[in-house]
Amino acid sequence: MTSAPLTAAEAGLLSCETCALLSRPADPSEPGYCPRCGGELEWRRHHSIQYTWALVIAAAICFIPANVLPVLSSTTLGSVDSDTIMSGVVFLYTSGSWPLALIVLIASVMIPLGKLVAIAYLLITVQRGSISSSRERTRLYRMVEFIGRWSMLDVFVDTFTVALIQLQPLMFVEPGPGVLFFAAVVVLTMIAAESFDPRLIWDSPTNRERLHG
Amino acid sequence: MAENFDRDDLPRATVVPKRGTRISIVWIIPILAAVVAIGIAIQRVMSEGPTITILFTVAEGLEAGKTFVKYKDVNIGQVTAVKLSTDHSKVEVTAKIDKSAGDLMVEDARFWVVQPRVTLSGVSGLGTLLSGNYIGFELGKSKKAQRKFTGLEVPPIITGSQPGRQFMLKAENLGSLGIGSPIYYRQLQAGQVIAYDLTADGKSVQMKVFINAPYDKYVNRDTRFWNASGVDVSVGAGGVEVRTQSLVSVVAGGVAFDTPPFAVKSETAATDSVFTLHSDKTTAMKQPDAISTHYVLHFTETLRGLSVGAPVTLLGLPAGEVTDVGLTIDPATMNVRGRVEIVSFPERLVAHLGQNKAAIDKMVQASAQGRQDIMRRMVEQRGMRAQLRSGSLITGQMFVAFDFFPNAPKPKIDWSREVPELPVVPSTVSDLEAKITGIVAKLDKLPLDTISADLTKVLTTLSQTLEDASKAVNRIDSDVTPGLKTTLEGLRGTISAVDRTLTSTDATLVGRDAPAQQDLRDALQEIARAARSLRILTDFLEQHPEALIRGKSAENP
Repeated sequence: MTSAPLTAAEAGLLSCETCALLSRPADPSEPGYCPRCGGELEWRRHHSIQYTWALVIAAAICFIPANVLPVLSSTTLGSVDSDTIMSGVVFLYTSGSWPLALIVLIASVMIPLGKLVAIAYLLITVQRGSISSSRERTRLYRMVEFIGRWSMLDVFVDTFTVALIQLQPLMFVEPGPGVLFFAAVVVLTMIAAESFDPRLIWDSPTNRERLHG
Repeated sequence: MAENFDRDDLPRATVVPKRGTRISIVWIIPILAAVVAIGIAIQRVMSEGPTITILFTVAEGLEAGKTFVKYKDVNIGQVTAVKLSTDHSKVEVTAKIDKSAGDLMVEDARFWVVQPRVTLSGVSGLGTLLSGNYIGFELGKSKKAQRKFTGLEVPPIITGSQPGRQFMLKAENLGSLGIGSPIYYRQLQAGQVIAYDLTADGKSVQMKVFINAPYDKYVNRDTRFWNASGVDVSVGAGGVEVRTQSLVSVVAGGVAFDTPPFAVKSETAATDSVFTLHSDKTTAMKQPDAISTHYVLHFTETLRGLSVGAPVTLLGLPAGEVTDVGLTIDPATMNVRGRVEIVSFPERLVAHLGQNKAAIDKMVQASAQGRQDIMRRMVEQRGMRAQLRSGSLITGQMFVAFDFFPNAPKPKIDWSREVPELPVVPSTVSDLEAKITGIVAKLDKLPLDTISADLTKVLTTLSQTLEDASKAVNRIDSDVTPGLKTTLEGLRGTISAVDRTLTSTDATLVGRDAPAQQDLRDALQEIARAARSLRILTDFLEQHPEALIRGKSAENP
């Protein structure tokens, strides 16, 4: 409490999430609405941790089929080739283009996984009331939020390929069920990152107890 | 009870802070994700067919992820890995089989690599030139599941679904037959040889044949199979006859089958029944000789050219076969004779009978005693004898001929013996030989030495006589000739005198102007005149016969 600076909530004030106007609550239990923009004021987001947890778990579940199921199946002269993300990486690596393999590995496997781990870490530290390295955790949160918008690259490439390669009798490409789960992972982690209230990182345990009570 | 007590003494209820235990609706999302993921997992597991491994000696054209396992041209699985077996001698092909075909993977299911194949009996697998090789699959009959298989080297010829039945053929040797050799029924292809193997004792070959559905019902217990490979050329009195089944069978060999016409209508043969594969149609269709009687013949002449299987004829018609050729020795006399054992088939003789066939057939078939009676009558009363004869002057092949020799001496035959001995007569060839030998022996006996001595004497005498004659002639020459000369000269003079005489005679008598001739002519003219006068006279006398009496009147009308 001495090391961390005073938060708005500790001072009995709250800021608007939309226009960031600092105001006094109408009533500590019912903060009311922002006098400037009319947005609903909250001390902290309702059930933020629970929401985030649910989404993170859902994303983690979806991450498994996203990697196990084929994302792309190409049919060439009657012979069908189904590729999962990892088999694509292996194929790229064995065919010599390891930089491409690395990009796919990072973009399609490591980043979604990293996001999940990062959010889960943030949630756990918040729940445990940890107050150390709050700054780093905030930076982590920002990074997760930033990367989220680029994570649909795989899905984009997939749909693009399917749309382009349709030489019906000779060869054609179909999306596999894996891509659906991959998209689900990306969307769910994005929502999870969004539903996480970064202000929680800075809350002291006593403060949190009061706010969430 | 005490009415007045201090309210403040009562304990105070504690306030337990309300905890945010309300579970948010957001938890539906992970639950939904879990349900979907688990559902997909379950579906995957449920749709997962078995993974099998097949061992091949070569994995020509098999690729992981590209090669399919096909049954009736439908994909039932895919090769997922091709690698060497642990001992590096084979190729282990791992394939993932579709769930729907999972229960087809039983222990006697068969796998083979389908690739273009060109054999004598046809071309197969051309389609794989475009699509690449694939693994063919054939159903098994077993119900026991299996996951490890050994692939076939060549595709099975008969698929399990093909209607028809399988039979076994036993042959002395394989000949030109092989797997896939066609089987013909009335020159229609009715099946194929699907496998062959040596029998356990190694003395014959056993073939598995498959007869396709409509034809298999013509295979009954009396059906004969024969090797129809190649060309069957027979030269007979009717000319040259060439028989073949088809061009394929000429090249690749083949088997034909038929049921002989004399066969009783029997039920169709059971699957896997064993038949004998005959070497040709004639042997195959030969009527089995149900009744056979064995005899032994003892010949004193050479048995050269007589082989086992040589025909035995009666009056030139086939009646049996020679079963053994050997020697016999009489221990008492140390007399060695040729022993020929024969078997006679009375039915064959009966077949040659025209009328009364049925009756005699019945008698022949009736009892051994009846047959022996016929034989005894023929041998003892009609003089039936066995004789060795030469079948061919070129090859020197001999056969045993039975003929009737009414003048042959009556034999003594022990009919009670198991194998009765039949009487023989020397063959015509050896008869001739014997006669020539007799002549030679007689010639041998001639006193040629004395004859030649006498002849020498005679010749000497003759020579002396001739010499004497010569001398006599010489003497005649020297003594008689001079006298003869003078005699001859005198003779010549006489002859010329005669000549002259004759010439003069000629002139007198025969020459044109010879006086004798002149006279003769005159005389003849006189005679002619006289004759005329005589004619006139007779004419006159005819008209005037009275003139003989009255004389010639002066004038007559």
